[in-house]
Amino acid sequence: MTQSSDIAVEVVDLAKNYGPVRALNSVSFSIEGGRYYALLGPSGGGKTTLLRLIGGFLRPSAGSVYLHGQDVSHLPPDRRPTSMVFQNYALFPHMTVERNVAYGLKLLKAPPGEIRDKVERMLGMVGLEGYNRRMPHELSGGQQQRVQLARSLVLERDILLLDEPLASLDAKLRKDMCLELKRIQEKVGITFIHVTHNQEEALTVADRIAIIADGELVEEGTARDIYETPRMRFTAEFIGDNNVLDGVVADISDGRATVDLGFARVDVAAHGLPAARGDAVALSVRSELLRIVGSGQDPEASWQLIPATYVEAIYLGLTISHLVRLPDGTEIVARVISGERSEEEFEPGSEVTMGWPGDRARLHVA
Amino acid sequence: MSSGAISGPARAGGGRDIPAPAARWRDYLGENGVQKWVFYIPVVFFLLFFAAPMALTVVWSVFERTQFWMEPGFTLFAYDNFFSSARAENYLFSMLHGAASVVIAFAIGFPIAVFIRRRVTRVAQHRVILLFILPFMISELVRVFAMRPVLGRHGIVNSLLMELGVISEPITVILYSPLGVIIGDVMSFLPFMIFAGFLALEAVQNYIFEVCDDLGTGRVRLFTHIILPLAAPGIFAGSVFIFVNSLGVALVPTLLGGPGAVNAGLIANQAIVALDFPLAMAISTIMIVTLVALLYIGHRLFDLTKVLEPIS
Ligand SMILES: Nc1ncnc2c1ncn2[C@@H]1O[C@H](COP(=O)(O)OP(=O)(O)OP(=O)(O)O)[C@@H](O)[C@H]1O
Ligand SMILES: [Mg+2]
Repeated sequence: MTQSSDIAVEVVDLAKNYGPVRALNSVSFSIEGGRYYALLGPSGGGKTTLLRLIGGFLRPSAGSVYLHGQDVSHLPPDRRPTSMVFQNYALFPHMTVERNVAYGLKLLKAPPGEIRDKVERMLGMVGLEGYNRRMPHELSGGQQQRVQLARSLVLERDILLLDEPLASLDAKLRKDMCLELKRIQEKVGITFIHVTHNQEEALTVADRIAIIADGELVEEGTARDIYETPRMRFTAEFIGDNNVLDGVVADISDGRATVDLGFARVDVAAHGLPAARGDAVALSVRSELLRIVGSGQDPEASWQLIPATYVEAIYLGLTISHLVRLPDGTEIVARVISGERSEEEFEPGSEVTMGWPGDRARLHVA
Repeated sequence: MSSGAISGPARAGGGRDIPAPAARWRDYLGENGVQKWVFYIPVVFFLLFFAAPMALTVVWSVFERTQFWMEPGFTLFAYDNFFSSARAENYLFSMLHGAASVVIAFAIGFPIAVFIRRRVTRVAQHRVILLFILPFMISELVRVFAMRPVLGRHGIVNSLLMELGVISEPITVILYSPLGVIIGDVMSFLPFMIFAGFLALEAVQNYIFEVCDDLGTGRVRLFTHIILPLAAPGIFAGSVFIFVNSLGVALVPTLLGGPGAVNAGLIANQAIVALDFPLAMAISTIMIVTLVALLYIGHRLFDLTKVLEPIS
């Protein structure tokens, strides 16, 4: 398993066309072994295509897939060290749970005793001991996905591919299964690549996340980086609850830029971004970092302030979203934990000042 | 609340307990009115057009034969007549032919069904399947009759094979022979196998085939371990259709079978022509019993209800 490199998956200039449709556009990245990796992105972005190319269910139009340093681009799925967990309805409907899980090992002509032990162990691992004789239609959706997981894991291939494995489960069960998947991955220690368009799911399970959209890999990083310090504007818009403001660089020096929003100028860290005076840029501030600065309060000097008009409060249970309109018409959201701060009340239409700590906004040049 | 709103105008008119005409009309159409009875229409239909004729068939088979019809009574003469004559033997032969037709139709038709499901793009699948319905637009008589110039001594098949030098003498066993009947049955009823097989396979999710790719099932085991068991109920349904038709459709042995060729349907026809109605009914009864037995066996083998249950 630990061969010449620690890189489990390496994809080089991988592209896929479906006839005239370009589903994947020259994507390159690599995944370290033993990681829980999520491919996250909007519908139609090419996540499934990428996963299927890695698994061998599709042939690339260009580029190659290396698994453990070996070019597998032209190998069929069963000859690759990968196994796939599908969205749903992928159990053999005419086989019991036990036979479903055992089937792959039977094909490998493993001795019956060994098969029984491994199947038993796997069913225990996914929390389905005692379900051996059930038929798939006698299981709930979550249980069916557990069986699929066991069926793949029992093969002991060391890269597991999961294509929206939780998409057909309800919100509560999905959350439970996320933690379960994470626990199982940590236990077996193999590489998981998990496709989802649900950011919460990705953030829960993954060590690292790649954002895939329009057939491109937009950004890649640890779950925390992707959430807290997105580099790309697209990531900021897609992940978290970011407010994105358009502006023009008015001045740039010493790693800080002054951005002209049209109605206000704000200061932001430029982190060596390739921006020059006059460039159109974007600024993102997560809604939980944005505050309505009350008239009585005196914000610290480093805070960046902009004027706005209060629109309304939206109660969301855990949080309350305060919606305000900027002078240029864009609406942005400041989110506070319900009941955390003395329930501030604002009159719709009243003038307010919005602010954020100076180092918490992100500058995006693309 | 809402019922109050409906009966509002009526109340304004005086009597509190008398519903407005609109409300009464609603009652007739409502869940306790027509709607309740609508569900029984299929039951009535079934009783009238399926159960009653079958029951009458059985009852009439034990009636006394008269010169032109029959009269009430109880006699097993017709059955005795059936079993002690060549008819029983012919019936068995007819079942044998039916079985052979089923096997051949499976060997030809099921691979076609698998091919359509697996190799034809999803959107085109139903169109391709519809193609196989086209022959049914042509009268069965014409369709079966058209086999003659194909299979005959100087027919298309023989000319072609002789042209190609495969044979030097025309093959004569393919028309006016038991083989001709089987060929006719297969050609006539093949679409049943294709439909039923395809429908069964259509219910199988694509994911299943991909899982097999992932596990490395291979073609042969994909067929024996996955496709065949999942399509078994469909194959069985198609087989029953073909078997029953090759037993019952008198046209095929009449047109393609040559002298002496019969099937169960033809024996019954002959009995009717001879005005021996109880005998015709007895033969029909035996056919019904055969079919019920077949269905029972199929049910035990495949547990039809269970296999057809939704997957999730
Ligand atoms: N078999 C196909 N034929 C033609 N186009 C396809 C095919 N499969 C996918 N596409 C197209 O390729 C693009 C990427 O599809 P893909 O299924 O990889 O997206 P995805 O990111 O998995 O989306 P989702 O989150 O909706 O599953 C889409 O524009 C899609 O329409
Ligand atoms: Mg997808």
